[in-house]
Order: sequence, then structure tokens, then C-alpha cells
Amino acid sequence: MFDRLFNPNSVAIVGASSNPEKIGYAVIKNMVESGFSGSIFPVNLNAATILKLKAYRTLKSIGMSPDIVIIAVPSAAVPEEIRNCVELKVPYAVIIPGGFSETGSEGQKLENEIRRIIAGSATRVIGPNTVGVYFPHSKVNTALTPPDRVSFPPAGSIAFVSQSGALGLLTMDSISEYGVGISAFVSLGNKLDVNEIEMLKYFSEDGNTKSIALYLEDIDQGREFYSVARNVNAIKPIVVLKSGRSEASAKAASLHTGAMASDDRVIDGMLKQGGITRAYNETELLDYARTLAYGKPFPGRNIAVITTAGGVGVITTDLISSRINGVGLSMATISRDAEERIKVEIVSFGSAKNPIDLTADGSIRAYEKVLEILMKEESVDAIVAYALPQTPKMNLEIVDAIARHVNDGKTVVVGAIGSLLAKELIVEFERRKIPAFPSIDRAVKSLKVLHDYGKYLHERGRT
Amino acid sequence: MNSPDLIKKLKSGPLDEYSIKAGLREFGIPVPEGMLCEVLPGKIELNFPLVLKVSDESILHKTEAGGVITGIETEEALKVQFKKMKDRFPTSRILIEEMIPDGVEIIVGVIRDRTFGLTLMLGMGGIYTELYNDVSFRLIPIDIHDASDMIEEVSIGRFIEGFRGQKVDKIELANFLLKISDLSTLMESFLDQLDLNPVKVNGKKVCVLDSKLIRKKI
Repeated sequence: MFDRLFNPNSVAIVGASSNPEKIGYAVIKNMVESGFSGSIFPVNLNAATILKLKAYRTLKSIGMSPDIVIIAVPSAAVPEEIRNCVELKVPYAVIIPGGFSETGSEGQKLENEIRRIIAGSATRVIGPNTVGVYFPHSKVNTALTPPDRVSFPPAGSIAFVSQSGALGLLTMDSISEYGVGISAFVSLGNKLDVNEIEMLKYFSEDGNTKSIALYLEDIDQGREFYSVARNVNAIKPIVVLKSGRSEASAKAASLHTGAMASDDRVIDGMLKQGGITRAYNETELLDYARTLAYGKPFPGRNIAVITTAGGVGVITTDLISSRINGVGLSMATISRDAEERIKVEIVSFGSAKNPIDLTADGSIRAYEKVLEILMKEESVDAIVAYALPQTPKMNLEIVDAIARHVNDGKTVVVGAIGSLLAKELIVEFERRKIPAFPSIDRAVKSLKVLHDYGKYLHERGRT
Repeated sequence: MNSPDLIKKLKSGPLDEYSIKAGLREFGIPVPEGMLCEVLPGKIELNFPLVLKVSDESILHKTEAGGVITGIETEEALKVQFKKMKDRFPTSRILIEEMIPDGVEIIVGVIRDRTFGLTLMLGMGGIYTELYNDVSFRLIPIDIHDASDMIEEVSIGRFIEGFRGQKVDKIELANFLLKISDLSTLMESFLDQLDLNPVKVNGKKVCVLDSKLIRKKI
């Protein structure tokens, strides 16, 4: 299921247009510019060509059944196009326009009509009210925003499924800055047919996907979602951002339990029960998906920190150890023996105790030696390693120095803070699939996520 | 314990506190020793101190209605307080129970969530539950890991090592949660809400002091 959606040979765009004001223009522009190697069929009643591609008057006049049909016509005209898809046995239709159940009962009727049309057919529907899909591995991009307004991330390991289209686009735009790659983006829209549960099942078996980021506004099949998400999460980590937290309880709250049981508390418990990582904003959603895609989950609690800036080390220590405004893990106690060996590598006014501070004098060679020592320390479960370009001896070589040891056994999360150089560093770490973050807080929280996931797998006997 | 009979009672029998507690007791869930009476019996085989509670399905929040008298230490006091209770609620029966003096007050409850179905809650209990905002939820059925995580998640977990002379045995409490989860699963077809509040935990002893059950509207 869904193989031809994610790896299509042909894509038709109904409502394709040469008019840059139209959504049908953005969609075809994105398809053309993404370098898709299959066939693209613009469908437009009045145009002979669109963006130099031969246009077809109707879907049926193409003379074959495209793997995906993108529908970019006003909502009232959509049922007719879906009927055509069903007749042509088109496997996947993506309905871009809004004007459906999100607007009220008239829109709901349209959705019901479409549901009736596809019932028992070979056609599956994504949307409506979606910004489209983007699959960098197969170079499919049907987004409704033209490429001059939004950056699309390169091919990578994170599957990103979003109920909100715009949140998906802006998040992809943001992570593109650091070259963070995704395996696929699906904007589910109103979930008339295809929903998050099916996507989880697909991505759990998708070879390109290492973790799944899920933005949801509602969950309708609660138990089914829980059981699928729990099983998938044990194989491929899932991060959920669920909005609508402040919504007042709609339950009959005659007893205490009922009064306490807000939707959000129940969802929080359900996610914890499934060992599923929870994000509270779009930054965390992709940070955690990225860490879980690249980083090694660890059940232990003892963290070592390497830094070339004392203040960064102290703040990290606070964030690691505090239960309030922190993640409540522990700072590892470095053995006397390791401490002595670290002392040899660093300047006398540095700190060989955790957090290990090489000071601004710290060279990349010394840094790597310390990292090597920590990798062999039994008392250390994971390492926060800072690559701080503001200290004079740090440069891009630190990336390879750290990369040489990320597979030595212990989890490493990198912090690279600053502007131009820091960004370059993160891009390089990203290229090597090492989770790196532009702030202390983001690095520590991402590390905590790897701990929680590792602890869950360990306790439930899945590692 | 005969589960089908017990479940049948909870499904269609009376839902006053005494009946629910009798059901809980049958299922192996500890409740205080007690007796239900119209009039004060001549001889009482309960250990002082005692508690009096109005037993009437129509009164959901007894404390607020003045239907609970605690700390009765003597036969004399019992006579006085029983009469007071009868004056206040002439048509209701009165539940006389042994008082459980010490322990941490927690709440254990079940709610039928509209999306996720039967869901278990653990929290700091008593009349201020909503104020503490110190609760944890899991979908039913839970396993031993879930029970343990729930205990750690709320401040009850702080009592495992002991706090100001109060101690909570984690394994006993986890087993208690599992039992409530099991019982709720058996009531899946008709249970809407269950409140065990407060439940007193004192070391290895876990005891349900008050319980309310609401059935699903059919």
C-alpha cells in the first residue's frame, strides 16, 4: 500500500495553470523544478502547454491512469474530478483546495459525497484542504507554495506528517536552513480518507525513514492510533506535536476523575504509555525527530559535558541536573584515573572534572583526546559535546574529530551556538547524521528524548 | 471470588457506597470494615475510632452535604452522632465504618474518554484533588511498567523513600492500580466513571475509603 504514492511514475495536475496567481501554477512549478523523472500531465481546458509541458483538456484525454492526480480546482468542482479518478482507477488523488468540512455543513456535504464516490473503488484520497505532498527521494513536490517563497529540505531520514499544511511548510522551510533532510512530507488536511494511522504503518516499513514527526490537531480512532503508534514506535521512533492543549474538558465531570481528565492529560498518558516522544512546538518536533533518527537511545542517566566555554558547561550542568527548568538527569562522576588522563590533555586552568572545560585554549586535538577518554569511561552514559566557533581554536575540523567517535558506543549530542560559523558547523554535523543544535537548551532536551526512548525500550525488553 | 456474579452486581445492582465497596472487597480490593444500618444496632463489632457516612445514591458529594462525621471514639459518642445523622437524613441509611487513621491520601479513578475509552487516573487525593493538578493517566489495561511510571510521575512517588513520616510501598500500590485496571476491563461494557477517593496508603497497606461508580448511559 502507498508504494506508488511515494514512488510514482506519473503525476497529473488538474487545474494546472500558467497564471502565477493560481495554486495550479505553484503545484506544477514545484513538480517541474523538483526534477521529477516521470511523466507530468497538466490538465487544463483552455491551455495547449503549461510551463512547456503539453496540457490535456481533461483527465481522461491523457489516455492513461496517472499514479497521482493532484486536484487544484475549487471545491465545488472536486467531486466530478474524483469521479473521473475512480473511473480511470487512479490509485491516489490529492485534493488541494479548502472549502470542505472545515468551513461548515455545506463543505461537510461535499466531503460525504466524495466519500461515497470513492467507496469500494481503487482510488485513495489525501486531503482535502492540504498543501500537498513532498517526497525528495522520488523528487515529487506538489506543494501549493511556489519555490521562491519556501525552501524544501533535501532527501533525508525524517518522515513528516502534518495535519496542518502551513505548519508543515514553515517547518520544512526552517529546517532547510541547516540542511536537515526528510524522507517524505505529507499534509493530511481534513483526513477525508487517508489518515495518520496508515501513514505510520507505511513509514514503519519505509527504508528511507528513520523517525516519524507527526503534527496532529485531532485523533479520531483513539485506540487504533494508540496500538499502531505504540508498535511502530518500538521499531521507528515517533514524535507527536498535538495542538489544542488548552481546550476545556468536554466530559461529564460529575466525579473528580472526570473533572481532571482533560483531553490533553489523557493524550499525554497515552503517549507515555506507548513510549512516544512528545513535542510542544514545531522546533521541538523536528529537533526530536532528528535526534531520534541519528542518535543512539540510551537508558542510563549519567551525562558528561565537553566544552571550551565555562559558562556553557555550567548552564548545561544546571539544565541536565535540575528537575525544575531542567531535564532531571545526572552529571556523570568521572573516575580519578580518567580525570588524571584528561588533565594531561588540557591547560592547567581548565577543568578535568565534569563539565570538562578545555577553555578557550582548547585545541581540536585535545578535544578529541578527551572525547576518546570519555568514550571509555564506564560511568558515562552519554555526552553533550560543544563545538563553539567563538573559541579561537575551534574550526570545521571539530566536525570530523567528533564524527570519528560517534560510533564508539556512547550517545553524543552536539551544541554549536552562534551565527554564521555555528550554522556552518551544524550543516556539517547534519551531513554526517550527528544531531547538532544551535542552543544549550535544545541540545539538552534532545539528549533527554534519547534517554526517555532508550529507557522505555530497555524496560519493555525491546533492546 | 466469583467475577461474573460480582460484575453482574456492579452492572445492575445498587450503587450506594456500601454496595460498591462490597464489590471491591469481593474483588480483593481492601476497604474498611463497616456495616450499613437503618437504626443503630445494640452491639457493634467494629473497632473504634469510627466514621459515620450517609449512604444514599442521590447524594454524590457527602462531605459537602454534611453527610460525614469522623473521629468517633466511644459508644456514647456514636449514639449522639448517629442520632444527629438520622435527624439530618431521616430517610437515608447510615454506613458505620472503622476509621483508617494514618496514610497518604490519593485518588484512583477511571473515566471513559470519548476518544480513547476507559482510562485510569492516579493522583494526590482528597477534596483538593482538582487544586493539586497532580495526576497521571494511562489507557486501560495498564501493565506493571505503566503502574510504576504513573507512581513516579505524580508526587506520590516522593513517598516511596519516605517523606515526613509517611511511606508508600511502590509494589503494593502498583499492584493495586493493576487490580483496578483488571476490574475496569471486566466492566468495559457498562462503566462510565469510577472514583476511589480518597484511597489511603500507609506503607504496604492500601485501603479505599470512599468510592463512587457511574454507569454508561445506554
